[in-house]
Amino acid sequence: MSKRLKHRLRSVAVVAALLILPQVVQERYFLHIVVMAGIYTIMTMSWNLLAGYSGQLNLGHAAFFGIGAYSSALLAMKLGVSPWFGLLGGGVIAGFFGFLLGFPALRLSGPYLAITTIGFAEILRLVAVNWVDLTRGSLGLSGIPLLTPIRLGSWGMEFYFERDYYYVVLAAVVFTYFCMLRFTHSEFGVSLQALRDDEQGAQSIGIHTSQYKLAVFTISAFFAGMAGGLFAHFTRLVSPDTMSLHVTFDTLTMTMIGGLGTTAGPILGAVLLSLLSEWLRTLEDFFRMDIRLVLYGFLLILTIRFMREGLVGVVRALKEGFSSYGKGRNAGGDHD
Amino acid sequence: MESLFLQQTLNGLIIGSIYSLIAIGLTMIFGVMKISNFAHGDYSMVGAYTAVFLMAWVPGWMGWVGSIIAAAAVVGILGIVTERLIFRPLIGRWTDIDIIMVSIGLFILLENLAQLFFGATPQMISDPFKGATVHIGGVSTSVLRVFCFGFSCIAIGALQIFLNRSKLGVAIRATSQNRFAAQLMGVDINLIYTLTFWVGAALAGVAGVLYGTTFAVHPLMGAMPTLKAFVVTILGGMGNIRGAIFGGFILGIAESLGGNYLAMEYQHAIGFFIIILVLLLRPRGLFGAKEGT
Repeated sequence: MSKRLKHRLRSVAVVAALLILPQVVQERYFLHIVVMAGIYTIMTMSWNLLAGYSGQLNLGHAAFFGIGAYSSALLAMKLGVSPWFGLLGGGVIAGFFGFLLGFPALRLSGPYLAITTIGFAEILRLVAVNWVDLTRGSLGLSGIPLLTPIRLGSWGMEFYFERDYYYVVLAAVVFTYFCMLRFTHSEFGVSLQALRDDEQGAQSIGIHTSQYKLAVFTISAFFAGMAGGLFAHFTRLVSPDTMSLHVTFDTLTMTMIGGLGTTAGPILGAVLLSLLSEWLRTLEDFFRMDIRLVLYGFLLILTIRFMREGLVGVVRALKEGFSSYGKGRNAGGDHD
Repeated sequence: MESLFLQQTLNGLIIGSIYSLIAIGLTMIFGVMKISNFAHGDYSMVGAYTAVFLMAWVPGWMGWVGSIIAAAAVVGILGIVTERLIFRPLIGRWTDIDIIMVSIGLFILLENLAQLFFGATPQMISDPFKGATVHIGGVSTSVLRVFCFGFSCIAIGALQIFLNRSKLGVAIRATSQNRFAAQLMGVDINLIYTLTFWVGAALAGVAGVLYGTTFAVHPLMGAMPTLKAFVVTILGGMGNIRGAIFGGFILGIAESLGGNYLAMEYQHAIGFFIIILVLLLRPRGLFGAKEGT
């Protein structure tokens, strides 16, 4: 029971710290980075559900992000839909595309699925580049409206400041986190893992693998689309680059380094790498170059080579090391 | 009208030969080691930069031919190094996801290292034939492209002879068909792994020089050949070398004709449309090998 209490206390402390953060650190640039980290967290969590829990190697995740961003922006700009509904709309439209992409996944796996999903994202990116009437092509959509203000008596959020977006994105991250937790710690999640580990075996015990695949693609795409919508209304600029391979690669690098197939991994990876890459930017004068992505590639290779469960695995190993250290055994591992 | 068709077909054949050259290495590596290497196109990028540097030193066609050989050597070594340092340690415990992720890591690493060392601005490899063109019938093309086509065909032909006639070549094919049986027959499997990576990377390096001379050289140029090579490889059936050769030509011609008659803007997506169709109808590729994955 005390363990559970400790766990609860820790959660409360984390949430409290997150809630006061913008009151303590008011630097807008920093908050901008934190908001972007939050948006990426939603991306990594949704990708992790697909790749980590169900073993579906989707390399077209950026497409869902882009679809969400464009849909949400266009709903607000062309149809005058409130951005709040636009966020939801972007998620739903992305979810629909996720459902469609689920069909090839019924028959394909491994490199075949990887290439098909890349192809899906590349085709959509080219559509965004070439459908100039709707998307303004490579220029991208600019002047996307801010989220509409909320007023409750004297209290209100205006969305002129990063701080207000911070709370919205924080809410979205927490919402996504609990949804993922529900999904993965339920019969649904267990079935997904069975599907990942042994598809035929899963079928033989009566799991409708095709329904599960379609469902997990739809769900994952919905959240990625929502992240795209948040991105659109936050940065107010959406270009076809939102669907480029690099967005997918950033997402998967963060997830892998954090820990694929773990609950905390995607969050840890997205937040730490976002902050790390900003810190590296300040060192740019020292190195005279942008070494951010070099480091990403390097860390990704190291992660797969030495720590398959990413940072979460390292933390776990360290904990075990410390506890066994007390019993007089050799502490730590050779993890860096 | 007819000459336009012929012209586009010719262009497609030429670019297709380069695609084949890149894809052969990818499909060989997949066949032998079951590795889907997403960094394969970056071997071409490194090959292209080898040419940029060598030709700054020795210009003209001598430099160009020299840089094709140099690219094969440099990138061949890079292939062996990446195999030893990155792929080999994972042998025996990898899943599809691990392998693809580690190769994506390598892709990101090579791409950005190139950006650090060579700068982001695109560079041109100057045409060793000074823009000379040839006319055959109603079609015309540059001498450079004729040579690109020629070199690709020679490299592909040489590889075919190597694979079919030499003992090592047969060992590679045997390993690709059945690793354990090959091992039982006394094939040194580790040597075959290294050899496959060496040959595959060197071919991609040569193709990189040809590709870079036809287009431009920049650090991010590797992504396109990687994707094209994967399209070709899937088209021909992964692990199927002959399939990769035909697949390359098919993709080259389809892009060229499709870009001309259907939609120029979507030229680079044509390959993806084709493989999505192919995978839905024939999941093992057009020249479907019986066993894949």
